[in-house]
Amino acid sequence: MSIAPVEQEVTSAGTDVEFDVPWITLVWNDPVNLMSYVTYVFQSYFGYSREKAESLMLDVHTKGRAVVATGPREKMEIHTEALHGFGLWATFQKDN
Amino acid sequence: MARAFARRGHDDETRYTAHLDADERGVVAELLRQVRLLIAPGGRGIQTETAGDEFDAIVAGLGADFGATPTVPDSPEGLGGRGLPDEPRDPALDRLFPSANRTDAEAAAEFRRLTESSLRSRKVAGLTTAIDVLGRARRDVVELTPQQAQTFLVALTDVRLVLGDRLGLRDDEDATRLEEVALHLDPDDPSAYAIAVYDFLTWLQESLATSMLR
Repeated sequence: MSIAPVEQEVTSAGTDVEFDVPWITLVWNDPVNLMSYVTYVFQSYFGYSREKAESLMLDVHTKGRAVVATGPREKMEIHTEALHGFGLWATFQKDN
Repeated sequence: MARAFARRGHDDETRYTAHLDADERGVVAELLRQVRLLIAPGGRGIQTETAGDEFDAIVAGLGADFGATPTVPDSPEGLGGRGLPDEPRDPALDRLFPSANRTDAEAAAEFRRLTESSLRSRKVAGLTTAIDVLGRARRDVVELTPQQAQTFLVALTDVRLVLGDRLGLRDDEDATRLEEVALHLDPDDPSAYAIAVYDFLTWLQESLATSMLR
């Protein structure tokens, strides 16, 4: 069994930046939403573990915002709408 | 005397229960109704015709006391340069339905056009459910199924977001400042009542959210 040279696999991608740059969903800190509630939303909506949900919540709280999801634009828009439904201050943008 | 939400039972039998007396349920239900009025599609603000009830006492007297943006629903002066000349819009709506893209105003406008109406409808339905479950309390016990609990939790969020906006809460420093202000207010000050209601809702929501965490 042989192993293909790594270089051969890298040639096709990267021609169109639009498709390569992923989109992100951000949640921004606000003074009203409770830490417990934000954790609950991350758990129940994204299905994140308690540990991951709390870690993201603390990022929002201490750093002012956190990236809560990454992927194609349409998906990030769906997440943003759902999070607005929960009353969280969510936005989507290209991950520059 | 109110008793916070707690979880009972397991799986399908899980219930979240709190003790709220008739006055407490009445205050919460009235706030839910007022926020539903604000959010209902086409709704542009708290209706001033209902002046005199508790919620209007809360929302009317605040603003200036805390340096918040003055709220003048349905009045051109209330726009405050928000760039929506054709649609007077209550500032609380901008918090409930915030801009979804901070880097691309066009994308944000398109997103709002596509989502806000259905989001409003869903919130109105949730607020209605929350009002209904409060109305079904027996012996001052509010009992929620897991599904009702999530709906109620989100409805409490909507009310707290609107109240928070009225109280001028824009960042964490505002929240700290509000606590300090509350300590020195005359108990008869309408603002003191508003802050007390806000704190009560916070306490109630915290107990429900905490008991729903897995």
